[in-house]
Amino acid sequence: MKIVIIGNGPAAVAAAEAARELDGHCGITMISKEAVPFYSPCPLAEYVEASVPRDHLFLRDEKFYRDQDITTFFGHPATAIGTTARRVTVGSGSDAAELPYERLLIASGARAIMPPIPGLAGTPGVFALKTLADADGIVARLPAARRAVVIGSGFIGLEAAQALVRRGLAVTVVEALSQVLPQMLDAEMAALVETRLRDHGVDVRVNSPAEAVLGGQAGVSAVRVGGQEIPCDLVVCAVGVRPDLSLLAGSGISTATGILVNEFMETNQPDVYAAGDIVEGFDRQGQRRVLPIWPNAVNGGRIAGGNMVAARTRSFRGLDGINVVRIFDLPVASFGSSAGERSLRYAGNGILKKLSLSSGRVVGAQFFGDVNATGLYHELMNKGVDVGSFESELLSPGFGYGCLIPRPPLPTRLAA
Amino acid sequence: MDKAIFTFIDRCVACKGCEIACAVEHSRAKSLFGALAESPHPRPRVRVENAGVHSYPARCMHCEDAACIAACPMGAMTRNAATNAVYVDESKCIGCWMCVMVCPFGSVSADPVAKKAFKCDRCPDRTARGEDPACVAACPTRAMIYATPEELAAHRRQATAMNAAGKPVARVAGNVDLWRSLKGGTQK
Ligand SMILES: Cc1cc2nc3c(=O)[nH]c(=O)nc-3n(C[C@H](O)[C@H](O)[C@H](O)COP(=O)(O)OP(=O)(O)OC[C@H]3O[C@@H](n4cnc5c(N)ncnc54)[C@H](O)[C@@H]3O)c2cc1C
Ligand code: SF4
Repeated sequence: MKIVIIGNGPAAVAAAEAARELDGHCGITMISKEAVPFYSPCPLAEYVEASVPRDHLFLRDEKFYRDQDITTFFGHPATAIGTTARRVTVGSGSDAAELPYERLLIASGARAIMPPIPGLAGTPGVFALKTLADADGIVARLPAARRAVVIGSGFIGLEAAQALVRRGLAVTVVEALSQVLPQMLDAEMAALVETRLRDHGVDVRVNSPAEAVLGGQAGVSAVRVGGQEIPCDLVVCAVGVRPDLSLLAGSGISTATGILVNEFMETNQPDVYAAGDIVEGFDRQGQRRVLPIWPNAVNGGRIAGGNMVAARTRSFRGLDGINVVRIFDLPVASFGSSAGERSLRYAGNGILKKLSLSSGRVVGAQFFGDVNATGLYHELMNKGVDVGSFESELLSPGFGYGCLIPRPPLPTRLAA
Repeated sequence: MDKAIFTFIDRCVACKGCEIACAVEHSRAKSLFGALAESPHPRPRVRVENAGVHSYPARCMHCEDAACIAACPMGAMTRNAATNAVYVDESKCIGCWMCVMVCPFGSVSADPVAKKAFKCDRCPDRTARGEDPACVAACPTRAMIYATPEELAAHRRQATAMNAAGKPVARVAGNVDLWRSLKGGTQK
């Protein structure tokens, strides 16, 4: 069996490990655009901040691929997929190579969205924060940078803003919408986050779409917002990520926003699987979603890896939509919808917690300042547990798994 | 099979001896007086919670297919190859709280001071010496036992025999059994 995996992120590595565990002899080839071994993008802001050393980003070394008997084509992008000929093209022009596959996994992830703002593309000093190369670029520019503008206030934008503040830069965050973290929080929660950012010196501007990036070959000099120029020598563009479908042209693989997969991580093409940030799969409630987070990549990769060796032996319980970010060390988390029929709240000690309920069930949560037990609430939502009988305890500090243990019937002599 | 901690919820009298023993075991001094002097105070990784008419010493279940390990983007959440317990390698943890987000038992918490994930490690030093984890050893009513499933079965048979002889039997709480017994939605 010849397995080819496009990508070298968590989905790709989880799949390779799952396949190797089941079949010690199958051929596994991994192709990656980046030349480095498997690393985690999640601590890139902390790396820029200098709180996490560069070598801690790497989760596997070169020896891993040798030990697992994996052939690697690193530093060469896959450029085309022929699903009829069952071949992947690696590289282009005279360097191009064709790799035949019997099973193919596409795990090449998402790309940072670069909106068509004049001057954004091509001006030195403008970065995304998506790959190690982006972070290395930012780090290299830091000695010459005093002021930074972050475009976008999603969790990556805010992580970037904090990191740059901690490296001594004056930071402005510009957000086109009326609040920060618009995908993650409601307006009340977002206002708490904005206050905390401002308290730590971040200039937060909402309702402020970036209109132009100014500067020239010498580098960025300002970002224009609402007709006003914000001077800066570094820009981080963090307006979101989107599945990178560029390599699929002509492959016949069906896509919407991402590659459409079923619960086996199969695409519409025979023996072609996909996992990680590039997929559009089903969430636990059965809705089609693109949910680009680490656990979905690892879990989807494991399912795909197992099924490539033994078809349809593993099925995915569904993608999770959970978010957590730290705003100058204070944790903020959310999942699900904030638009339930009713909302429970707990406020005190700088903490605000809200749970959304519909038909006696948890449908969403937002937590500011304390995220403990978020996983338990998330599980209540996923399992559709009727919380009616312990609703009043739900947000109390003593709430825990113990509260869910079904109460045994009272012994008859007490009940009588 | 590996050993795990099993709980007999009817036996727990909420004395919180397990919490104290856990905090002491995870203190630098490893003694109650020493622990009290430490700043910040060592905190327990087991928490006695209300469970209807009973109490329940809640802690990590060391799940076989642990969601926290899959979710950790630093390779910090690790399974101890010798004991099978799941623990946090603090040198790798960056306090991103993904593990807190995915633990279905709410058993991993965010330590705001150390900025590291905080959970039961099932006392590797003690178990390496052949001792029970600190919480188990401290429990005066044997509400928790550290045993293999086979040993648990033997323990239950003995309890059933005692029941037949007119002595009360305890209900046992392993990990997933309780979830299965929860009313409401079904897992896909
Ligand atoms: C700054 C930052 C912080 C994050 N923080 C969190 C967090 O706290 N929690 C969380 O859950 N998630 C977080 N994420 C998201 C998480 O990192 C991703 O969900 C996860 O890495 C996706 O894994 P993947 O395997 O699908 O893709 P990726 O990790 O993106 O890997 C894609 C791989 O494909 C390769 N590739 C791309 N194109 C090609 C091509 N044409 N040919 C060959 N190879 C190709 C790349 O080189 C790479 O090896 C963060 C992401 C970023 C950028
Ligand atoms: S908090 Fe630490 S152990 Fe938990 S997921 Fe993040 S890095 Fe891993």
